[in-house]
Order: sequence, then structure tokens, then C-alpha cells
Amino acid sequence: MSTSGIVVSSGIAFGQSRILHQHSTELDYQLLPLSKVKAEQIKLSHAIEQVLQLLQSGLHRLEADCDNYQLIEADILLLEDEELTHQLLTSIGEQQFTASVAVKRVFAQQANQMLAMEDPYLANRAEDVLCLGSRLIAAINGSIEHDLENLTYPTILLATDLTPAEFATLPLDKINGIVLKTGGLTSHTAILARSAGIPALLSCDFDEALTNNQQIALDALSGYLHINPDQEVINRLERIGSEDKLRKSRLQKFKDLPTETRDKHQVSLLANVGSLSEISHLSDVGADGIGLFRTEFMLMNASQMPSEDVQYGLYCDAVQLLDGKTFTIRTFDIGADKELPCLSLPQEVNPALGFRGARYSLVHTDLLKSQLKAILRAANHGPIRLMFPMINQVEELDLLFKMIEECKTELIDEERGFGELSYGIVVETPSAVLNLASMLPLLDFISIGTNDLTQYAMAADRTNPDLTKIYPSLSPSILKLIKMTIDTAKEANIPVSLCGELASNPLVAPILIGMGIDELSVNLNSLLELKSTICNNELAAYIKCSEEALLIQRIDELNHYVSHCY
Amino acid sequence: MYEKSVTITAKHGIHTRPAALLVKEARTYDCDVLVECNGKQASAKSLFKLQTLGLYHGMTVKVLADGPQAEQAVEKVSELLITLS
Repeated sequence: MSTSGIVVSSGIAFGQSRILHQHSTELDYQLLPLSKVKAEQIKLSHAIEQVLQLLQSGLHRLEADCDNYQLIEADILLLEDEELTHQLLTSIGEQQFTASVAVKRVFAQQANQMLAMEDPYLANRAEDVLCLGSRLIAAINGSIEHDLENLTYPTILLATDLTPAEFATLPLDKINGIVLKTGGLTSHTAILARSAGIPALLSCDFDEALTNNQQIALDALSGYLHINPDQEVINRLERIGSEDKLRKSRLQKFKDLPTETRDKHQVSLLANVGSLSEISHLSDVGADGIGLFRTEFMLMNASQMPSEDVQYGLYCDAVQLLDGKTFTIRTFDIGADKELPCLSLPQEVNPALGFRGARYSLVHTDLLKSQLKAILRAANHGPIRLMFPMINQVEELDLLFKMIEECKTELIDEERGFGELSYGIVVETPSAVLNLASMLPLLDFISIGTNDLTQYAMAADRTNPDLTKIYPSLSPSILKLIKMTIDTAKEANIPVSLCGELASNPLVAPILIGMGIDELSVNLNSLLELKSTICNNELAAYIKCSEEALLIQRIDELNHYVSHCY
Repeated sequence: MYEKSVTITAKHGIHTRPAALLVKEARTYDCDVLVECNGKQASAKSLFKLQTLGLYHGMTVKVLADGPQAEQAVEKVSELLITLS
């Protein structure tokens, strides 16, 4: 039997099931007789004391000043808080609630007040407050976990939810994998599991009937929990698991190294992503940030257009996950060539040459405005770079910047906070290359999109494999266009990123770096491999390669050259 | 009564972690220390209360104290409100 979930920390793990949190958070709704008030208040104080002790012992196992330490400290401060204890005791004494109901009410009220402030950071803390409340209720009911110390290796821990504080009290050396019913990618447990390197699956709705000591195979690569798997599944996962381990360990040493050549030339290595889930894996692969967030991906399966507030929440989550690292958002790159259930796109005879990218956005201004406002608001919480797809000429930028000003005015009228953005374009048409100098004064960066640049330079449909065989991205003309773009941008002191498939090719990336590219943005799976290539050579060699490559006139010679140039 | 107004510069405001540091510091003083923001008041010694004040980036916050070492307490808490992030 298998159940799916969201991978928040990747890997394959085997072990015995152990279900945490079977402790009861049931509430006793009886009206307390006055004679029992005193005893109930004492019961509460004991429960607080018990949870405090567990937290304190968890704290001892951690290094001070790590995030988790501070969060547990916050839990401790809350439980020691006289205002809180006063409210709880009053609730029992005056309203004659039982201790469990008093805790439920006071903690829920606190969480609601925090949620009412519409701050994405506080919203996560509100969750933590509720979890702390549940833990306290479990202690009141006399069913808090004590015996985790006795776990045997290897255990797969399964629970409904796990607070950062509870995570800290886990004997991690005994735990091979973690599965939770709740939790998202930005949840602290996700972040903690990742940093501890324990494979974890969240939002996994495993069977209620599951008991302790069953055989579990956790596939936190594809996102499946297998209970009592057959031999075939075990064999397959063992094989995938050992391959994954080997690959990880070979590339692992590059994860925390800066992306720089042997002679210390730094390159920013960024990721192309389409979801929060991918963003949460950035640190696994040592990415310096995001070079391309494809926002239209959130529309692919949506039945209706996400509102400004929904988008704002998503961008805030991303900003939080990135914690100050480069975050590049591309505005919706939609048009008649993509089927979207939430938008009725008109049929066009020639969709790739029709209303797509910024062209579409400039006509459907409501869509663009809701996105721009959400991004401007999210920029209040951390740095964001914004880039526009399918820009050919400066007139398009004039219109877009006018719209940004309108959005800012509206946000001021609505008394909403917003931050400043950095602006860029995706250079993906020959016209954009030729017109670049006129647009650069308005921009902070540019990103070359080689997939579409190839399609438009060659006038060859990129979705037709027969054509892409004849017109590959690695060709003399495309290299020349890239070179022109870099030279023009360098003259204006504007950094150049490259986010097409070409960057993912470890044979080609050195040439791009030699030509002067500042940032490469690639898919997560290609990132570490690419980093290891970059780190293993010198800039001088890359420059020489790029100079020679630019002289080559034929595609087959170029292919041969890149596979032998260093 | 001693008081001082400061503006929060921390990008994400004073959320749980910085607030916890502030509470720990405030608890080292004997006097009552209050934080006022958004027309609401809370004891600087109570994380429970502070969390619901809405101490966002750019907000002006008044710190008040009465009792022994009131001035030092206000100065210290104000300083933390400005420097914590």
C-alpha cells in the first residue's frame, strides 16, 4: 500500500513505523464544580511544568543561537509568561472551564489575534502557538510522549504534526525518515528535516489504521510512503537510494562552496523553478538563489485566476524561503500557445508569434496589475527582481513602467506597504538584442532566454523536434547573439544572466562564463553538476575557449570543440 | 514615568524570535516596562502580549517604564527595538 506526499527533504529511507502523537488532545467540556477549581488549576500548573521540562531538555541538545533554539526559547518564554498563566487560571477560576478547555480557548484566541494581522511570518508563528497549546492539552490529559528515548534504529516517525520544539526533542540518530499528515514547505519542520538531512514527506495522508512496528519504505524522491512493501519495491528503492546517495556524496562537497573558478572568479549559480516546492530544495543543491520563477505555472492547474492576495501569500512564502538570496520573478509568460483552464485564450494562427508574454499582459492589464501589486507588496519582506518576457522594444517598457507607477499609487491609496524592485527583461528575440542599448538605462539586469532566442532567430518552431535537430541552441549564430548581448550590457554596467537550457550543459557553460556571463540559471537537477564543472577550472581557460568557439563557423565543429576544449 | 518613542527598522518587524530576546532583556529589570503601538499596550515582559501588538517595520513604538531603573530599562528596550532584526 502506498500514499503520496510532498517531498520536503529528499532521499530513500527504510525502517519500522513509529506513530507519534497518539496522545489525546480531547477536551473535557464539563462545567467545573467550584470545589474542584483549585485542583484543576494545580493540574494545569503541573502540565505547564511538565512541558517546560521537556522543552528545556530539548534545548540542551541544541547549539545556542540556531533558529530552532530560539524558537524553543520562545515556547518556553510563552509558558513562563505570567499574562498567559493569569488568563488560564482566570478562565478556570471564573468561567469554571476545565484546564484543557481553558488552554484551547486562550491559545486559539492568541493564534487568531496573530493571524488577524495578516503577516505571513506571524501566521507561521500562530501555528506554533496552536501546537504548543495541543502539547499542553496532551500533558493535562496525561498522555504526553516520554519514551522516545527508547526508539530503536531504524525508525520512520509518523505523526499528524510536529512542532519545531518537538522536533528538537527527537533522538535524530535513531530516525531514518519522517512522515507528517500536515505541514507545508515553509513549515519549520520541513526546514529542520532538510537541514538534518532526514528524508521527509509532508501532507501525506497515511492510513489511520497504521500501527507501530510495521515495515516502511519511504520514497522521498518521488514522494511515496510504502507500508509493508513487497520485495520488488524494496529492491527498486534500494537501487535508487544507493544511486542517489552516491551522486549526492560525489557532488555534496560543492554544495556549500562558493560558485567560483579556481582563480576565484565568482559566478552566481541560480535555479529555474516553477513552484514553492522547488524553492524549498534550493539549499540542497547549493543554489545562490532563483534566476527564473515561472509564475504562469501556478495558473496551469488553477480553475480560476489566483487573486492578488493569494499571489502575495505565495511570493511571501518564497521570499521567506529564500531569506535574502536572489529572487527573480518573471511576470506571467502566457499566450495562445499554452492551455490554461482559468483563462480563455483566443485561438491564433501563429501562437508563438502572437499575443504572448508581456504582449498579452499589456492587453490584459487586470491580470498584470494583480501580479505587479502582489509582487510589490511581497518586496516589502525581502529583495525581489522582476523581469518581463517577450520584450522587443523600449516602447513596451515605457508602458510597463507606467503601469508599475499606477500600481504603486493604488497601493498607497489602499494603505498597503510595498518595497522597491529591481527590473530586468528576458532577452529572447533578435530585436531585443538589437534594441538593448535603448532599454538598458531603464533596467537593473537582463536575462538571456536561449530557448526562445533560438526559435525566433532561426524562425524555427521549438516544439517541432525535426526542426530543433537542424537548429540547435548551440550554434554559431546564437553564440554571436549572446556575445552581442553581453558586450552591450557590459558597456552599460548591467549584469547578464542566462536562463535557457544552454546553461545546463556543463560543456557549454564554461564558454558562456568565458564570454562574460555573470549568472547562470538552470534546473535544480543540473545545478550541482554544473557547479562542480565551474569550480574545477580557471577563468583564463574559459575565456580562451569562448574566443576560439566564437570563431567556429559550423555546428558540428562547434559541438566537437566544446567537448574537447578543456 | 519615563518614556521614549522609536521606529522599528527590522525588515520583518519584531516577530517571535526578536520579541523573545526583548522579553528576556525586559525581565532583567524590576520595574514595569510597557510597549505601546497601534493604540494597544503590552508588557514588554510578556511574549504572549507582544506577539499581538503588530510591531511591523516602520511602526512608531512608545516604550514606557515606572519604578526602579526605569530610565535604563526604557533605553535598553528602545535600543533593542531599533537594532533587533
